[in-house]
Amino acid sequence: MAAILEVTNLHKHFGGIHVTRHVNFSMHEGEQSAIIGPNGAGKSTFMNLLTGYHRCDAGKVVFEGRDITNRSPHEIARRGISRAFQVSSIFVKMSVAENVRSAVHAQMRRSFSILGAASRIGVEETGRVLALCGLESKRDLIAGELAQGDKKRLELAIALAGKPRLLFLDEPTAGMSIEEARSTMELVDRLNRELGLTVLFTEHDMGIVFNHARRLTLMHRGEIVVQGTPEEVRANEIAQKVYLGEHHV
Amino acid sequence: MSAPEVQPGWLARHGLARPVAMAMLVLFLLVPLLPGEYWTQVSTEVLILGLFAMSFNLLYGYMGQISFGHAAFFGVGAYASAMLFVRLKTAGGSIGMLDFFLSLLAGPPVAAFAALVVGFFCVRLTGIYFAMLSLAFGELLFYIVFSWYSFTKGDDGIQGLLPPLFFQDAVNYYYLTLAIVTLAFLVLWRITESPFGYIMRTLRDNQRRAAFLGINVRLHMLINFVIAGSFAGLAGALWGPFSRSVNPGLLGWQESGVAVFMTLIGGAGSLIGPLLGSVIYTLLQAVVKMYTVYWPLTIGTIILLIVLFLPGGVLGLIEKRLKARRSAGDGET
Amino acid sequence: MDIGPYVLQLFSGLSRAMVLFLLSAGLSLIFGVMNILNFAHATLWLLSGYITFSIFQFLGEQFGASPLLLLPSIAWATALMALIGFALERFLIRQTYERELPEQLLLTFALVLIVGDLIKLIWGVENRRINLGVEPMEMLDTLVNPYHFVIVGTGVAVAAGLWFFLHRTRFGKIVRAAVYSRSMVSALGIRIPMIYGLVFAAGVGLAGFAGGVFLPLLPMALGVDHDVIVQCFAVVVIGGFGSMLGTFVASLIVGVVYAFSILFWPDGALAMIFLIVIVVLIWRPWGLFGTELRY
Repeated sequence: MAAILEVTNLHKHFGGIHVTRHVNFSMHEGEQSAIIGPNGAGKSTFMNLLTGYHRCDAGKVVFEGRDITNRSPHEIARRGISRAFQVSSIFVKMSVAENVRSAVHAQMRRSFSILGAASRIGVEETGRVLALCGLESKRDLIAGELAQGDKKRLELAIALAGKPRLLFLDEPTAGMSIEEARSTMELVDRLNRELGLTVLFTEHDMGIVFNHARRLTLMHRGEIVVQGTPEEVRANEIAQKVYLGEHHV
Repeated sequence: MSAPEVQPGWLARHGLARPVAMAMLVLFLLVPLLPGEYWTQVSTEVLILGLFAMSFNLLYGYMGQISFGHAAFFGVGAYASAMLFVRLKTAGGSIGMLDFFLSLLAGPPVAAFAALVVGFFCVRLTGIYFAMLSLAFGELLFYIVFSWYSFTKGDDGIQGLLPPLFFQDAVNYYYLTLAIVTLAFLVLWRITESPFGYIMRTLRDNQRRAAFLGINVRLHMLINFVIAGSFAGLAGALWGPFSRSVNPGLLGWQESGVAVFMTLIGGAGSLIGPLLGSVIYTLLQAVVKMYTVYWPLTIGTIILLIVLFLPGGVLGLIEKRLKARRSAGDGET
Repeated sequence: MDIGPYVLQLFSGLSRAMVLFLLSAGLSLIFGVMNILNFAHATLWLLSGYITFSIFQFLGEQFGASPLLLLPSIAWATALMALIGFALERFLIRQTYERELPEQLLLTFALVLIVGDLIKLIWGVENRRINLGVEPMEMLDTLVNPYHFVIVGTGVAVAAGLWFFLHRTRFGKIVRAAVYSRSMVSALGIRIPMIYGLVFAAGVGLAGFAGGVFLPLLPMALGVDHDVIVQCFAVVVIGGFGSMLGTFVASLIVGVVYAFSILFWPDGALAMIFLIVIVVLIWRPWGLFGTELRY
């Protein structure tokens, strides 16, 4: 299978602190995997580097055969990479449907449409994404007034509206009830299985990680320590020392 | 930053946008029936400044940035149009109908160009820095107009902008203004209800997130800045023949403050809010000035009270009432 | 070459710089500590000028006119302004800490109109000025008002005092810490509301002091505050929000550039200032000496 994402020797430091160091990483099309690691391991920075939020000091990021290193976030998003944030990052004063609709418009390249009627463009797609994420009944609520779990679901919906081929999820179930977390991860599995969407997520809950990721990457102090199947990582000595040793799950 | 005070777009959500706009249009159409020219003149001012405030609100209410230099584009539009006006004027001091409209048309593009240059830099910043940079550009343009006597007549301003005979009649000029502002309002409405308009709202709420949707944030902000500038320029163009003169004060930060006032009084959450703010502000000014010279004291006190007790402006207050009534009707809290 | 005009402009520029500094220091502190941009700062400065004038006149009537009466007049006016500042923070500004930026601006903007008009209501439209009757000194080919030295000396002394206060006293250190992290300071068990009140009082007091000190040099006139406040914004932006050193240097830049620009482009001197502001904001939005903080 072809690699959809190829990261070589990625390097980033803030001041004198190396936050990612010589990171080599790749993903195959249709893969669903997770990055784990203790707080401050560099997981979020890694995602920020891949999506253009931070500039890389060295290294190369190739997505679908094209170099996207240090492209701006909007260019990278247009290439087909979406992300959902740990702290829900939604458009708080807009309604749920408007949140998704604008993301759909952006995906349709209609964001410059100055005289078109927003309410008549991308209606079906908006409805589809809302249904997919179980937000239909809340479509007219103001996003900022949603419950925490619904905010995270809207977060995911906005990311999906971009019709990504690669999806980054930063702690997709943080702040959710067990039931909400389960249904959210089931949705992610389904997207991966049925649409072949490539998914990379970070997660604190090891139960979720081992149930939903087919491959794990363990980061520690900005470096990749171990990569492999959940079983391999679980069995790895260094991994136990670095991570499981600190967090008995 | 704290929680929003106004839920934008609520007029539309209540299905009230159209009725309110229609009601206002009808009222505006009836104004000349009032005895005397005074109220017609005041209403002309309401409309022109209302258009100016609505253009400001494209930046504030929709894009989430506060500009303290927006009057620069109002003033540049007014000057561009006035200077063409003076060139086209015949030796006898009168201007032909066609030339008059031509001079009005000069306002928006020149203001748009100024907004393009200023906006190019401003959209790189947000929050207080955006406000300060727009203020600095506005003051720079103000002092250029103020000091470049050979080109702009400096402090003297440009006088004698007497429109064609037909429009010297206050009622006729009022209807001309009403027609143009109504048209501008419809265009602005289309813009704010377009995909682009909603992208502006996403930028107001969360610029970073919008970028990750594939939105080129600065480019979209710049386009909006230019649109806002050109509508301010249109308002400025209408101002000259109305007051028969233009002066550098039109570009100053105090004039920008007027747009901010009107928007906050009326409510920044909707397109019509600033226009309503202009109705309140300008009418109040007209009434207060009949009784006292202390207009700033009066309006200052009113603004103080609004900020302290009426966040969200007048429309915000009405919304709260509506909400309360609705929830009482539903038997919910 | 005749250096007379340049010397004159240098002194006028330095004096202007000191007044701008006294105002901007308070403005910058208030912004740094509580994130409030006080549009009314220069209007309060103007108010203090009028108040100082009235006290000076009153004392003159009581004890016989003497230039020395300026000292108690300034002291009383400064104290009164600090009190007014404290009250403004307590009863008005405090209501808006949890609000959005535009509403805070609007509140202080409303104060500009209210206080400006109150001045007009109380003192009328006539300009006010104190004539100390000091003879100009002859130096470097020109006549210089020696009062310039008083202003420059006072300004430098206040700057030094402010620096000492912020860096060497406990309260000053708390104030500086509050600029960086309010939650940190409040976690240390320090009462934030009190800090806010005192900082606002100190800022307005400084402005009040400047209003009195400047009175013998330039007349107080209605509407001057509108020009001065945007110049103070220019200073704060150039120097960097919250930075005292930046504010001092930027005051000198603005004051001196303004004074010399007048020689070459009398009506456009302020345009030069805003050009500098624009360049700084584009190049380093956080100012020459500021750090990238908030927003």
